[in-house]
Amino acid sequence: MSTVPPNQATSFLLDAVISADAFDFWARKVHPLWSCKKPLAQIVSKHPESEDAVTLVLKPNRHVSAFIAGQHVNVSVEIDGRQHSRSYSPRYLANNHIAITVKRIEGGKVSTWLCNQSQRGNIVQLNDPFGEMTLKEHPNHAVFLAAGSGITPFLSLIQAHAKTGQRMTLLYWVRDDASACFTEALTQLAQANPAFRLHLLMTEPKDGIASDRIHLAQIQALVPDLVHTHWYACGPEGFVSTAAALAKQLSRPFLGEAFSLPELAANPGEHVQIHLLKSRKTLSVPSGEPLLSALENAGIQPAHGCRRGICNTCACPKNSGTTRNILTQEEQHEAVSGLRLCISAACSDLTLDL
Amino acid sequence: MKNLNTRTLSAQDLALLAKELDAVRARAMADVGEKDARYIRRVVALVRYSAFAGRALLMLSFFPPAWVLGTLLLALSKIVENMEVAHNVMHGQYDWMGDPSLNGQTYEWDLVGTSDNWRTSHNFMHHTYTNIKGMDDDVGYGVLRLFPEQRWKPHYLFQPVYAVIFALLFQWGIAIQELRLGQLFSGKKSKEKFAEEFAPVKRKMRQQVFKDYFFFPLLAGPFLLPVLAGNFVANGIRNIWTYSIIFCGHFTRDAEIFPKSVLKDESRGHWYMRQIKGSSNLEGGKLLNLLSGNLSHQIEHHLFPDVPAWRYAEMSKEVRAICDRHGLHYNTGSFMKQASQVTWRILRYAFPSKTPSAHLNEFRAESTAG
Repeated sequence: MSTVPPNQATSFLLDAVISADAFDFWARKVHPLWSCKKPLAQIVSKHPESEDAVTLVLKPNRHVSAFIAGQHVNVSVEIDGRQHSRSYSPRYLANNHIAITVKRIEGGKVSTWLCNQSQRGNIVQLNDPFGEMTLKEHPNHAVFLAAGSGITPFLSLIQAHAKTGQRMTLLYWVRDDASACFTEALTQLAQANPAFRLHLLMTEPKDGIASDRIHLAQIQALVPDLVHTHWYACGPEGFVSTAAALAKQLSRPFLGEAFSLPELAANPGEHVQIHLLKSRKTLSVPSGEPLLSALENAGIQPAHGCRRGICNTCACPKNSGTTRNILTQEEQHEAVSGLRLCISAACSDLTLDL
Repeated sequence: MKNLNTRTLSAQDLALLAKELDAVRARAMADVGEKDARYIRRVVALVRYSAFAGRALLMLSFFPPAWVLGTLLLALSKIVENMEVAHNVMHGQYDWMGDPSLNGQTYEWDLVGTSDNWRTSHNFMHHTYTNIKGMDDDVGYGVLRLFPEQRWKPHYLFQPVYAVIFALLFQWGIAIQELRLGQLFSGKKSKEKFAEEFAPVKRKMRQQVFKDYFFFPLLAGPFLLPVLAGNFVANGIRNIWTYSIIFCGHFTRDAEIFPKSVLKDESRGHWYMRQIKGSSNLEGGKLLNLLSGNLSHQIEHHLFPDVPAWRYAEMSKEVRAICDRHGLHYNTGSFMKQASQVTWRILRYAFPSKTPSAHLNEFRAESTAG
C-alpha cells in the first residue's frame, strides 16, 4: 500500500474504504481467481506423466507474470495452514493455460501434495518467473542434456527452438521406461521435425542394454559435429557439474541449472553467507550465533526491540536457508514470512528480505 | 502493591518456572497448524460479514430497529477486528502461515492509530517492560495514576473525569501515544521531528474519518445522519470495550508494578513471573474470549504473546497449576469484579497515598534521580 500510486488521491480514498485484503475476501466469493494483486492459478486438469510424475494444467489470472521458455516459477500451495513454495518449470499450452510437471519426491511436502492431494479446482499461487537458462541468441545447434526431472524446462525450450528450424539434440537420462516423462510428446516432436534428434538413455532398463551415465565419449558418439553446439543441462547437482566440466573441456558455451539440494547444516561457528535482498548486501557471519547480533556485528542495523523473542519487531521474511530457533532448538528449512532475528541462528547460507 | 498471596521465588525456583512454562509453550506450538488457520479465517469472515450486514442495515435506518441492529453489528465487527484479528496478528501469532493478509509486520487495522506505532508501543515496550514504572507507557498512559508507586500530583484529582473521556476517545489516545506530545510541549522534541512522526498518523486518521464519517454516510443519501450517528456510536462502543479489557488486564487490585531495577540481568524466569504478577484474567466463557481477543487470558497472553490466542483457554489449565505449585497468585475473576477493582484504583489514587513498603527503596531512588 505504500508504493507510489498513479493517482495518490484515488489510492488514499480506495485504501480508506476497502483494503486489498477485504476486496480479495469478497472477490474470491464471486470467482476463485479474482484478486486485487495476487498471481493465482486454478488447477483445471491433472494427468499422470510417468509412474511418479503428474502434469497439472493451470488457468492463471491476470496477475501471473509472463515467462519465457526455460524459466522457473515458485509455486505456492497451502498445506496444513502453511504456505509452501517450490520451483517448477512452466510451459504454455494452446489456450494460454500453463502446464507444470511435478515429480513426486520421497518425503517432499509440496511434490507429494501436488501429485496426491491436489484436485481440480484447487488454487495455487504462481510467483514471478526466474532463471537464466533461456535461449540466448538462437544457436545453430542446441544440445540439451537432461537427467531425471531435469527434463521439465526442456520441453518448452525445445518447442521454442523448433520454430527457428535450427538443429537440436536432446540427451535424456532416465532410470527406466516407467520413470521417463513426455516420451510421447518428445517422440512426436522428433518425428515431425527432422532437425530434432532424441536419445533416451536408460541407466537401469527393465530389458535391453543399460546406458552409461554422462561422459565425454558418449556425447561425442551421439552428437556429431560438436564444434557448433551450445549446451544446456538440467538435473541433479553432480550431473550438471559433470556436464559443465565436459563443455569447458570442449570449450562450448554452456548454461546449466541444478536442483538445489537441502542445504547441509554448517558446524556452529563456521561462517555462512547471508544475502540481504533489500540492502543488496552479502555478509559472512558465524553460524549458531543469534542473527540479530551477528548482523549488527557485521554493520547492519535491523529494526529490533526486546531481543528475546517477545515483541516481533525484528521479524523479517526469510526466502531460503535453514535456521534454528535458539529457544526451542527447532530447525526451520522452509521460507517464512516472519523470522525473528533475535532468537534465530543461521545453520546454512540464508537469503533474507532485509 | 506487594501481594501477600505470592511468595518470593529463588533463582532456582525461577529457572524451574521458566522450564515448565517453556514446556507448555512448546506443546502448544507443536500442535499449531490447520486448526489455527481455519480458526483465524473464520474470525476474519465474521469481521467481514458483520461489517457488511451492519453497514447495510444502517442504510435502512428509516426502520429504527435496523439502526440499532446495524450499529451493534458494526460495533461487533470493529471489536473483533481490533481484538481477535489485529492485536493477535500483529503479535506474529499467525506469521507461520505465510499468508500476507495475516502477517504481523504488515497488517493494518481499522483504527485511527497506525499499526506501526502500535507495534512499538505495545509489542515492544508494553510486552517487554510489563508494568515497569517509567518503561511501560500503558501504566496510566501518562495521564492516570493507578498505583501508589506513581508520585501524586494535584491534577490527578480530576482523573475520575478524564478517565471517562479517555475511555470514550480511546482509539485517539492510542493513536497519539507513540507521538509523545509531552516531549513536544516541553521542548525535548523539535517541531520538524514531530511533523515527520505525525505524517503517517495524520494520513491514517483522515482515512478513518473519511470512511466512517463521509463515505458511508454520503452513500446512504437521505439517511446520511443516521448512518453518521451509527458509525459514531459503533466506534464509541469499541473504544469503551477495548479500554475496559486493557485496563482489566493490568490494573486490578492484585496487579503489581515494578521498578526499573528489576531489569538488571533479568532472567527468563523472572520475566515470566513479572508477566504473571502484572496481569489479570477475566472469567466469562467463549463469547468473552472472542470479544476480548482472548485477552480474557491476559496472563497466558503475556507469557506466550506469539502463540495463537484461541489456545490460551486450554493452556490456562496448565499455567494455573504451575502457578499454584510455585505459590504464585493467579489473578482471575469475573468481568464485574475486575472492572470494579480498576474503577476503585482510578478513584482511590486520584488522591494522595503513601508509597507502599515493598519496593519503597527502589522507587524512591528513581524519584530522586528523576
